[in-house]
Amino acid sequence: MTTFLVTVGVGLATAAILALSAVALTLEYAVSRVVNFAHGEFLTIGAYVAYSTQAIFHENVAAGAVIAAAAGAVAGLALNAAVIERFRGRTATTVLIATLGVALIVENVLEMIYGAANVSYGYPQGSLHHVGPFLWTTSDIEVIVAALAVAALIYLLLQRTRFGKAIRAVSQDRALAQVSGIPARRIITQTWILAGAVAGFAGFALADTVGTFGPLLGFNFLLLTITATVAGGLGRPYATLGGALIVGLVVQIAGTYTSSAYELVFAFLLLVVLMLFRPNGVFVRRGTVAVRA
Amino acid sequence: MYWVSVFTEAAVFAILALGLDVIWGWTGDFDLAFYGYLALGSYFTFVLSIGKPVPPVEYIIGWHLPVVAAIVLAVVAVVCVAAVVGAIALRNLRGIYFAITTLGAVSALYLLVENYTPLFNGYNGVYGLVNPGQSALNLTYDGYRVLFLVVVLVLLFLAYLLVQRLSRSPFGRMLRSVREDERAAAAYGRPVFFAKYRAYLFGAALAGLAGGLFAIFISAFNTGAWSPQELLVIYAAILVGGRGNPRGVILGVFVVYIGFIELTRYLPSPASRPEFGPALRQVLIGLMLVLMLKFRPEGIFRERPGVDHGPGPAGHPVSGRIGARAGGGPAPAPAPAAPAGAGDALSAGLAHDGAPEGPGSDDGGPG
Repeated sequence: MTTFLVTVGVGLATAAILALSAVALTLEYAVSRVVNFAHGEFLTIGAYVAYSTQAIFHENVAAGAVIAAAAGAVAGLALNAAVIERFRGRTATTVLIATLGVALIVENVLEMIYGAANVSYGYPQGSLHHVGPFLWTTSDIEVIVAALAVAALIYLLLQRTRFGKAIRAVSQDRALAQVSGIPARRIITQTWILAGAVAGFAGFALADTVGTFGPLLGFNFLLLTITATVAGGLGRPYATLGGALIVGLVVQIAGTYTSSAYELVFAFLLLVVLMLFRPNGVFVRRGTVAVRA
Repeated sequence: MYWVSVFTEAAVFAILALGLDVIWGWTGDFDLAFYGYLALGSYFTFVLSIGKPVPPVEYIIGWHLPVVAAIVLAVVAVVCVAAVVGAIALRNLRGIYFAITTLGAVSALYLLVENYTPLFNGYNGVYGLVNPGQSALNLTYDGYRVLFLVVVLVLLFLAYLLVQRLSRSPFGRMLRSVREDERAAAAYGRPVFFAKYRAYLFGAALAGLAGGLFAIFISAFNTGAWSPQELLVIYAAILVGGRGNPRGVILGVFVVYIGFIELTRYLPSPASRPEFGPALRQVLIGLMLVLMLKFRPEGIFRERPGVDHGPGPAGHPVSGRIGARAGGGPAPAPAPAAPAGAGDALSAGLAHDGAPEGPGSDDGGPG
């Protein structure tokens, strides 16, 4: 039972990072109708930039988080301007292949800069804490709290601000939003900046939690992120948070009782089950949504 | 001998690319699991032909079959795996879900092969398939490699003939109609799922064959020899050659493999950083993929339109289409291109019969 609760605790920390990454992916999908296979690279870039600058700020975790988010934001802006907007009007599959090409480029540029070997953070992990039934390190707690805070901020942003309203409008119908006087192009750019920032921060949190990482950090996390996003429903930010919780827990628990090497295998099995029975997300009743292309 | 090896590798990958083009070029689905089929074909060829494992090496099966029989069985095994993956991936009939599912499948397969050693000896992989049949054929090492190149080239030619024939068959045209407009094809009574499913299995069979040949080519196989991302080179090669055009695809593979890979082999790497050169090559492959998609998605050599100029009204656009509609039920031979255009009346009206299936219109769909 103790093992199980500790596993659940670790699963919640995983789920928190997954939630950040998945919300960012789902926002990208919402405004651009693109499954961004270079999304993992936002995480990797955030993680590496924080790694490069950690000495400057004397291993200050907050500074690392902010820098990772800023790097991710720049990456999001660049990807949207250089690829996504330029492939507008092409099929979803074509854009997906292009983003996969970008992922290959970014991974290998990082490998050219930092080498293929793993690097590790010098940020302090902190001591172990018993929180209720769970056992968490200080950085686990920081990640969970930060994820909750970011989720709350995104909720407020989407529901209470004009920007959020514009995002929702663009995600429903870009052309209609445009004729209603919403500067769709600018909103999309800003959404990619936001998504990049959230993903960059998630990359920092992920790298900090696992300790060592390489150029494939983000790409290896992509399948989990996509699974969580599909579990919630592509383009649905709030449901995606729930999807991340489910996927994080299932993968962590299944991995603990077999081998952590098989975590992605379980993610795939979960993905298959979702694809077969709930392709529009677990929180949607069958037949209530029109299929979005 | 160096060039024999280079050409052999390129020819093996050309067979792989022909199979991938059936899936991607004809039906439009982006399959990320495809390199996994090559890997499985290789692994199965090994475990079926190199005999019982000697501890600590472990793997399944461990038969001692002649290598030809091993490759045939490996192809069957690969098709069985593809039957499962394809059934799941194609079920939703939505392009992005297909890509996501196949990415998941190949990631899971890779991790399973790497970590579960009883399967294919895990990370260390399988080895020991050195020039099977060399002594029986009474050949020198070099002679064997030259013969092997000839065999691979013959198989490539046979695969080309098969694909070309299939491409011009009603089945090939039906697949293209599905690619251009799935809903219109379905509305015309085309069995969309089964058409794509059969194409998927056919493509996977070619990947299995390529895997078997690859096994003989490199004589040892482990997880270092393949990764899902290797597939992007093949996609780049197909894009260069021209999607949906078998001759272009083969040419694209030879151009990319021999021209590009050989030229970039001499990229500088600082002594302390041996991974620099290969990484730079990957960057260039990624750039090639993105730029080709952006500026020349139809490739250097376009898919050849209008392969169905049968006798009678087929050459005449309007009457051909009306004929197909009036016929109802299973359309007569010249007609199958018509449903493709029927969903997109404008392009069908402008282009002559068969032309609407040009690969450029990949991006012309509504929305």
